[in-house]
Amino acid sequence: MPGAVSRSLRSPRVLIALAMIFFIVSCAVFAGRIAPNDPADQNLLSILTPPQWAEAGDPMYPLGTDSLGRCVLSRLIYGARTAMLVAFFASLGAMIIGSILAHISGYFGGAVDWVIGRLVDVWMSFPPVILSLILMVGLGVGLDRVILAIILVDWTRFCRVLRSEVLVVTRHDYVAAARLLGFTHWQAITREVLPATLPLLITLISLEMAIAVIVEAILSFVGLGVGADQPAWGQMIADARQYVYQSPWNLLLPALAIFLTVTAFNLLGDGLRRTLDVRLAENQR
Amino acid sequence: MHALQAKNLMVGARLDGGIVPAVRGLTFDLPPGKILGLVGESGAGKSMIGRAIAQLLPAGFEIMGGSLLFEGETLVGMAPARRRALLGRAIGFIPQHPMTALNPVMTIGAQFDEHLARLGEDKRKGRRQRAIAALAAARLPNAGDLLGRYPHQLSGGMCQRVLIAMAFSSNPRLVIADEPTTALDVTIHPQILRLIADMQREHGTAVIFITHDLRLAAQLCDQVVVMYAGRAIESGPARSILSTPAHPYTRCLQLANPTMRSERRALYVMPDQMPGLRQLKNMAGCHFAPRCPLVMAECRQAEPPSITIAADHNVACIRTTAVTHIATGQGPAAAPQISERIVLQVENLQKHYAVGDALFGGARTLSAVKEASFSIAENEFVALVGESGSGKSTIAKLLVGLEQPSSGRIVLNGDDLTDRSLRSRARRAASLQMVFQDPQSALNPRRRVASIITQAMEAGSRHASWDERVARTKELLVEVGLSADVAARLPGQLSGGQRQRVNIARALCNIPKILVADEIVSGLDVSIQAQLLNLLARLRSELGFGMLFISHDLSVVRHLCSRVLVMYRGEIVEHGSIETVFAVPKHSHTRALLSSVPPDDPEAIWPALRLPTSVAE
Repeated sequence: MPGAVSRSLRSPRVLIALAMIFFIVSCAVFAGRIAPNDPADQNLLSILTPPQWAEAGDPMYPLGTDSLGRCVLSRLIYGARTAMLVAFFASLGAMIIGSILAHISGYFGGAVDWVIGRLVDVWMSFPPVILSLILMVGLGVGLDRVILAIILVDWTRFCRVLRSEVLVVTRHDYVAAARLLGFTHWQAITREVLPATLPLLITLISLEMAIAVIVEAILSFVGLGVGADQPAWGQMIADARQYVYQSPWNLLLPALAIFLTVTAFNLLGDGLRRTLDVRLAENQR
Repeated sequence: MHALQAKNLMVGARLDGGIVPAVRGLTFDLPPGKILGLVGESGAGKSMIGRAIAQLLPAGFEIMGGSLLFEGETLVGMAPARRRALLGRAIGFIPQHPMTALNPVMTIGAQFDEHLARLGEDKRKGRRQRAIAALAAARLPNAGDLLGRYPHQLSGGMCQRVLIAMAFSSNPRLVIADEPTTALDVTIHPQILRLIADMQREHGTAVIFITHDLRLAAQLCDQVVVMYAGRAIESGPARSILSTPAHPYTRCLQLANPTMRSERRALYVMPDQMPGLRQLKNMAGCHFAPRCPLVMAECRQAEPPSITIAADHNVACIRTTAVTHIATGQGPAAAPQISERIVLQVENLQKHYAVGDALFGGARTLSAVKEASFSIAENEFVALVGESGSGKSTIAKLLVGLEQPSSGRIVLNGDDLTDRSLRSRARRAASLQMVFQDPQSALNPRRRVASIITQAMEAGSRHASWDERVARTKELLVEVGLSADVAARLPGQLSGGQRQRVNIARALCNIPKILVADEIVSGLDVSIQAQLLNLLARLRSELGFGMLFISHDLSVVRHLCSRVLVMYRGEIVEHGSIETVFAVPKHSHTRALLSSVPPDDPEAIWPALRLPTSVAE
């Protein structure tokens, strides 16, 4: 693995992506310090002000204000916090459920595999966005509910993709050899199979984070997201829709934030896939 | 005019910014209608010729010098259009893997039709007739019926016959056969070789036959070129090369190969292995010098020139006269005292599989193993032979517990292993181990060697300290003849032979009573195979384990084992001591297996290659 880490750190894709993610995560972590204003503070005397560099700009609001006179920059920064929390915990949760089931399914095969496989089939036959909307209606709004809804919808993605990788690895004689040497099933999975599927797992997490950011934006956009008290990019887009002709900045800036975040995660996933992929790495040898 | 003429051909490989010659100074003449054998171990550069002709050299490889003439026309730097006109018409190919050489989604007929259309046969009907005639000439029954079938519906041997029929259907003047039998069952080998020989005679075609088997080349070819590390070290008439080898490598190779007739002796072992491209880069003198038993100081200074020692017999060595002195020297292999104490007893072992859809009917049972009974005593090596699909590997899996038997008993030291309790699993792990066929797949690429071979010490609830494991690693590495610095490497950094030693060491960690070895030397080169066979013999006398040795190579079996079980379609059809079974085989399948081994004596007649054979597939 150390070879794989240094190899991925030499890849320009991974480096650019990591720099972007580092920037976004820093915004999220230090939101309280770097945001110029409280994101919930309304200043009804200066609504829809353009960014600072425009003609009627106000230095107090570097990126202008929205229709309620709230600081757009501060809301973007706090929105990053929401997006990162969702991306991190939702993909982690989906990964845990999906990969555990994938390893059980691919390793044991037979009836277990059949049952898990059909469960995934049924689950995936619901359109993901609709399913998450229905879940949100049932669960109610809030950050933890958004995370839960994304986990419940997206674990199948991990399960399906990982299972085929587990199948390939399990067929290697070294897994059988470990069993013959007295390894329990648990030991064989954790010590022989998991290290081989880990690169794919890491790649999938990074891609899943991008998806989580998008889904969170969609849910906030329709008002079934984190709740009105917490700034979220999707919500900002929804709010700015009405005033798109007066103040296009209000709509474009959060859209740009989503775009950059998703690009960063996809770039990272792609770069990791190229450097960590077992088959590509084995060919190089 | 010669069908193919190579003069000082050099194929270079770009490596680390420099150029390393993968083939150097290769010179030969192939007259029309003759068979030239290119013999060598893997990495010797023998496949480069075929690839150079087809312009299919691997990336980074290039023809750097010399000439390659097909009927006087140079193939180096030939215009692509002209080359296309020659390939598949005047020059045919017979591939190593017949199953992958045919397009799986097209019928045999469609592929043949395409080929004949390319050859300029305009009428559809004419093409069909020619295809049927060609398939019939390749002794495929029901040729008309065969045209409508897909490659996966045919056996490997039949696919190879189809490809041979295709290769010869254009009346080529040259055919290149690259290990055409390696991927097929041993019992099919003589039939395929005979077919190639017959077709070659009928069409008057010149053939380049690439193989790693010296005995086989002597039987089939007129001329043989022995290659080592990219150089032709010996060339001449096939039979005289085998009867009077003049290069120490040829001689060593011969002595490293177990025989079917002479008394059993320890095999001659060449140290190390053939240098790879990377090592070739800074190598001075004769490339065989580091492994040569006759090496002198001069050998290391300059590469020996090729000298002619008899009519048409060339050799690149300065110690030619001493070659006959190379002998095994280690004396006869000590036949171990086989104790009477039975360790493993297998009684009426059966395994059925349900095939087809169990839910919607149409399920059948297929017996992979029928009523197998045998025993292995302490210190005894028992061979299990048979064609692929005969159930050999299923028996191995049943023994070690990777599959559960449908009925029957496996008794190890008086304990029945067939119950699935944890206790019997632990006992099995401690005293019954398996060495897997393919070390590439059997060794976890992420574990270091030390961690692999002492893996048994982290199994279950055992938590051996790392110090204990390092100590055991040292012992085991000595046992299997590997140096201590191997311990810290990854399997990817080892050679094939080293990997198989690690594979064996891992199985020995708990000092098992019985080893199950599934084709453990079949993928290896002769010189590496000899090293491993001697290693197994030594380990037996040191550790006293019994072994079930699964193989398809009867000369290896004869060398190593004392008893043999012959399997055919899931049944053990014959068993007994090697001497009796091989001398008077009773079952037809045993006879078929025995006749597929080329004779050691180049003057002897290989009946399988001469007698008319029917298609029995």
